[in-house]
Amino acid sequence: MIRYTLRRLGAVLGVLTAVAAVTFTIFYVLPSDPAAAACGKACSAERLAAIRAHMGLDQPLWRQFWDFVSGIFTGRTVGSGQYALHCRFPCLGYSYENSEAVWDLLTDRLPVSASLAVGAAVLWLTLGLSAGTVAALRRGTLTDRVLMVGAVGAASLPVYFTAMMLIYGVVRVAGLLPYPQYVPFGDDPGRWASNLLLPWLALAVLYAAMYSRQSRSSMIETMAEPYIRTARAKGLPRRTVVVKHGLRAGMTPVLTLFGMDLGGLLAGAVITESIFGLPGVGRLFYGALSAGDQPVILGVTLLAAAFIVVANLAVDLLYAVVDPRVRL
Amino acid sequence: MNKRTCTALASSLVATLALGAAGCSGDTYSTDGRSRGKNPVLANQGAVIGGTPVKGGTLTVLSNQDFTHLDPARNWVMGDMDFGTRLLYRTLVTYRAEPGAAGGRLAPDLAEDLGISSNGARTWTFRLKKGLKYEDGSPITAHDIKYNVERSFSPDLPGGPDYAARYLAGAEGYQGPAQGKHLDSVKVPDDHTITFELRKPFAEFPSATVLPTFAPVPKARDNGPRYDNRPFSSGPYRIETYARDKQLVLVRNPHWDPESDTVRKAYPDRIVVTMGLKGNQIDDRLIASSGADASAVPWGKLRPESIAKVLTETDVRKRLLAESTNCTEMLQMHTGRAPFDQVKVRQAVQFALDREAVLTASGGPAVGDPATALMPGSLFGGKQPDTLKIPLTGDVARAKQRLKEAGHPDGFTTAITVSAGDKGVGEAIQQSLGRAGIKVTIETVDPSAFYDSIGDTGNRTDLVYTGWCPDYPSGSTFLPFVFDGRYIKEKGNSGNHSLFRDRATMNRMDEIAAMTDARQAAKAWQDLDGRILAKAPTAPAVIERMPLLLGTNIAGAFGHTSFGGQIDYATVGLKDPSGSGR
Repeated sequence: MIRYTLRRLGAVLGVLTAVAAVTFTIFYVLPSDPAAAACGKACSAERLAAIRAHMGLDQPLWRQFWDFVSGIFTGRTVGSGQYALHCRFPCLGYSYENSEAVWDLLTDRLPVSASLAVGAAVLWLTLGLSAGTVAALRRGTLTDRVLMVGAVGAASLPVYFTAMMLIYGVVRVAGLLPYPQYVPFGDDPGRWASNLLLPWLALAVLYAAMYSRQSRSSMIETMAEPYIRTARAKGLPRRTVVVKHGLRAGMTPVLTLFGMDLGGLLAGAVITESIFGLPGVGRLFYGALSAGDQPVILGVTLLAAAFIVVANLAVDLLYAVVDPRVRL
Repeated sequence: MNKRTCTALASSLVATLALGAAGCSGDTYSTDGRSRGKNPVLANQGAVIGGTPVKGGTLTVLSNQDFTHLDPARNWVMGDMDFGTRLLYRTLVTYRAEPGAAGGRLAPDLAEDLGISSNGARTWTFRLKKGLKYEDGSPITAHDIKYNVERSFSPDLPGGPDYAARYLAGAEGYQGPAQGKHLDSVKVPDDHTITFELRKPFAEFPSATVLPTFAPVPKARDNGPRYDNRPFSSGPYRIETYARDKQLVLVRNPHWDPESDTVRKAYPDRIVVTMGLKGNQIDDRLIASSGADASAVPWGKLRPESIAKVLTETDVRKRLLAESTNCTEMLQMHTGRAPFDQVKVRQAVQFALDREAVLTASGGPAVGDPATALMPGSLFGGKQPDTLKIPLTGDVARAKQRLKEAGHPDGFTTAITVSAGDKGVGEAIQQSLGRAGIKVTIETVDPSAFYDSIGDTGNRTDLVYTGWCPDYPSGSTFLPFVFDGRYIKEKGNSGNHSLFRDRATMNRMDEIAAMTDARQAAKAWQDLDGRILAKAPTAPAVIERMPLLLGTNIAGAFGHTSFGGQIDYATVGLKDPSGSGR
């Protein structure tokens, strides 16, 4: 088990390095010039050259990449002379657009994206798994059909549509909630939740639909397994059969999906955050894209990759816990 | 000022991700091009909305974005300069806080007067008022103004106005105060006197000292790029908290002395800027104007699709400001390339262009005016003259006539580059030129790459659609930037997108720049405007307005002509501070 874990961790590092290299190359090869963007209008050639030198853009590409990678582990100094800044470990670069280290920008926005992702995940897991299980157990009945048709409908609604409808209906017409505005959990848990309720719903509707379909088919398959029949034949209560034997094994494919989805969302739900005006990683990313703020784009891409890879690893290790057969 | 800033604003508004641009079709009433006086948006033109504010309360600013830069050495975006110089830092000279053309006039700010010139307007001396203090009570000195001028040269602090670099003697190659290097052309004989030595006569230098470059920054507080997040206050407010792209909270600066300030009123106790909101939600909140939103003002323009909702309600319409941005959008032709090297072809384009159609495509007649000259109205004392004398919908017959005279009776094929948000404008241009036989293909470029691609003079299209905004109300901040052939750069070209190199025009610009009588110079710029227009390097199209919908509890608000129509933050406040919610 330890060797397995170590091997997986090594693979994680490899994937992250590859992602960093590819992203780095793409954005630095593309014909855009952050120095020109910073310099602004009526920028003279010598001033542009000075700014390029200050940003380190006059260095060869491999050198810039090496500085970036080594900065992650040791921290590094950005700029030179009077205004040199020390970007401390783990230095993901410095955003000239925001005048802040990328790591600080990310950690500042992460709680917002995490609040959104975790809250939505709880909602969609509860809704999706229960709907899927119920539909699987009542396979072929009216309940099953209603649930599954509803799921197809919900899955086909794009998140921006749901989000706009929620804002229109709940906020504008009914006036039940104010326009969402992020309040940190530590400040006021009640307002934190009430402001995040709509974004949670918007995300959860979409995911719950997919999860209910996934868990339904998975449960149907599991419930047809011989060991379930055995458990039933032993006279175990139905509840025990379904929850302890059926659900536990049926959850593995759902868990794989969940790891990827949650990991991706932790690094920002771009559309949802933008529509609800939540200052999370997703909106940071969107702003960086439109401003051509390469260090931030690179930082968010790496963060997203890290979350997904780590979530995947966690899921693989969890398999063993959830499904005893994996241990065999 | 380059259109960059205006477009940045517009593009972030348009950027609604997926549902996105339903925009640019917001006109709900027809115009025949003649009865423009009836535009209901203009009812508040030149007026102050809401009467005189009462001191106190919290003013909320609802914004779809963050400020570009609040560091005074780097702040060169119209609205940001308004916000910075009206609330956080004072400059040597500033604009009067008055609606209409009076907002272009100057008032002494840190200085006792508007500066004294000598040596044929090559040397300018300012005396500072006594007893001025920063937010910590320490004195503001002339050294701090010199220091900020110097740091604006630093490559670590890019983005700010370049007037100091353009005019100060001995500024070539200067790279800021690092390593103890200083500018000898800025002299500080004592704590309250500062003298600027210029490399050429510049009668309008006091107008340039309204720019944030001429605000004080104490050396001890300068922490380089990070200063952007926490500028040290010399104005009526200081920063309590600033979370980039989230929220900025300003509270009163107890050391600001209202007696020393004739311009800033500082009515609210607190100013809270909430950033990153969606444009349509801001519009909806301000239309409803309930609760704390009654004490709110928007930062960005009202979206075109919200205009109908505002204009149909009398009560809401009363709260709408729509001052001109004073940015002229132009169809600029590559005068160095056939067939646009011929004046007659360029004039044909001027005749063929349907400015009504362009206006409709860029948001509708409610939020813009057709351009009838090159420089915006603010440089003509309030209103553009009709120098073009072409019907607003164009004159196709005369366009064809000119093409025939130029040897293109059947027209020709060409291409235009427009920013992605201006696609509708590109189509309007395509259609109107098509009427005269000029076939235009449209190349749309992402806003972030727009200036790079049109600045590449070798590879760009014949036509580009972009504009220019004066930095302060003077022809010297418009015509030389747009039509002086000596500023053309092969790559990264900005301003002069018609690549206009006209000997007579450049000589005349030098003559006007050397004039020491500002009034005479203003007249001469206006005259030159007409002469350039006759040579047709560009076809002026529209001048956009800045529609801003105020909450019901807002008072003392007007769009400032010298800040691109943004609300003057020197005077805005609340009718009833107790109603501001917080």
